[in-house]
Amino acid sequence: MNLWLTQHLQALKLVLARFKDNILGTLLISLAIGVTLALPVILYVVLDNLGGLVSDVKKESHLSVFLKLDHDETALQNIKNELEKNTSIKSFQFVSKEDALKQLTSTNNNQDLINSLEGNPLPDAFFIEPKLLDSGSVDTLKNQLSSLEGVEQVQADDAWIKRLNYLLALGKKAMLVLTILLGFALFAVIGNTVRMQILTQQEEIEVSQLIGATKGFICRPFLYSGALYGLFGGLFALLISSAIILLFNQSLAALSVEYQTNFTLNLPNITIFAATCLLAISIGLVSAYLAVSKSLFNSFN
Amino acid sequence: MITFDQVVKRYPGSHEALTNVSFTIDQGEMIYVTGHSGAGKSTLLKLMAAIERPTSGTVLINNQNVSKLKASSLPFIRRKFGFVFQDHKLLYDRNCYHNVALPLLINGVTGTEAGKRIRAALDKVGLLGKEKAMPITLSGGEQQRLAIARAVVSKPSILIADEPTGNLDKNYAEDIIALFSAFQQVGVTVIIATHDALGNATYQNKVLRLNQGSLVADGVRS
Repeated sequence: MNLWLTQHLQALKLVLARFKDNILGTLLISLAIGVTLALPVILYVVLDNLGGLVSDVKKESHLSVFLKLDHDETALQNIKNELEKNTSIKSFQFVSKEDALKQLTSTNNNQDLINSLEGNPLPDAFFIEPKLLDSGSVDTLKNQLSSLEGVEQVQADDAWIKRLNYLLALGKKAMLVLTILLGFALFAVIGNTVRMQILTQQEEIEVSQLIGATKGFICRPFLYSGALYGLFGGLFALLISSAIILLFNQSLAALSVEYQTNFTLNLPNITIFAATCLLAISIGLVSAYLAVSKSLFNSFN
Repeated sequence: MITFDQVVKRYPGSHEALTNVSFTIDQGEMIYVTGHSGAGKSTLLKLMAAIERPTSGTVLINNQNVSKLKASSLPFIRRKFGFVFQDHKLLYDRNCYHNVALPLLINGVTGTEAGKRIRAALDKVGLLGKEKAMPITLSGGEQQRLAIARAVVSKPSILIADEPTGNLDKNYAEDIIALFSAFQQVGVTVIIATHDALGNATYQNKVLRLNQGSLVADGVRS
């Protein structure tokens, strides 16, 4: 146990000393890994935040039922009764055309435009909050309401949310593909770096083998350097992505004031932090292992 | 300690480097392996130190059969030997101290214990003042002695040297041979390969004479 620990500490110290001797090279490689990993991290943070926004909005989703302009009182009463009977409706609210015009007048700045209207162009309307929010039951309800006497149009205002959800799903797939492709690029970068190191240490490796070094003794420093490249790269990725997200947030702040929300992107949390570092370390370790086992023991007897 | 029985070594695509070689080396002996270039001296030494395995026949090192050992246990056999290579195989990217430190690192010896042993080894070969010097700045004889320091630092029971006096002038060569016999006197088995006629050395030692891969003489030179 003690010997095992000594051997690992030895390898780690050796690798850190080599990194220190070549600090610029180490920084540049870590930076390259960091930039590569920062892209999927940023994409993930943006998608995750938008997803949160969508599920907030979805809770407020409802149906708008607009009545024909020339409907009569019985049709209105009929519809009201139907809505009260319908079990898939949580609550509804009637807004008469007069109320609607009042609301419009109070919120619209362009009074001239409203004053220039000859009559009231707005229909009577019901605003309905359904019990179930999945698109299937909303569609069924929409069809039921459209067939009622005196109904001009039923609008489900979650159509854009649906489209946004499809876009988000597409974005998540794109992120996955990007991560996999960039992961392969990292394999190549780290693998090649470790192979170069093996080449420069060729003499030492040969002598060590001749005087009784085990495979483990020879491989260990290279595996450590692969893993450390991954770790440093992962840390750089989080620094870079955090900086870029803060930059985005400056512009988003101005934009969300216009929309009267306070939407900002969250910085990578501890889960993303751990996942990025672990992913980077394992890519580093595996590619170093492949490089070592490929180029080190071809001539070992 | 080391026993060869009907050992044959054939490299792919060439003739037999060693043919039916049999001999025994006891602990504490000082052995010369002689013969012309290409007679198989280096091959013999590599087989002794478990750096290579025989094509057929048996090589026993401390009663362990090298051919039957797993590849993963060969490194541990090799650690019993101190090997001075024909081309030194010094590492030119580090100073003398760290060159000598390598076998200790492999054995897991570090810290003050390692420092003591490295300085003792450098002292023994007369290079104590040069521990911070880079090997490239050393003369041929000094490089040879540095290689010897590296071979003895982990206190091996067997010391093997391939042409240790090859490129040295006579005075230096005698110094080196004297150094080896000093190790033999403290109980180390010493095996030296040399192509020359052993100079003016007056030691009474066993000689293994090789000719084209066969052992032609195995006896004490008087």
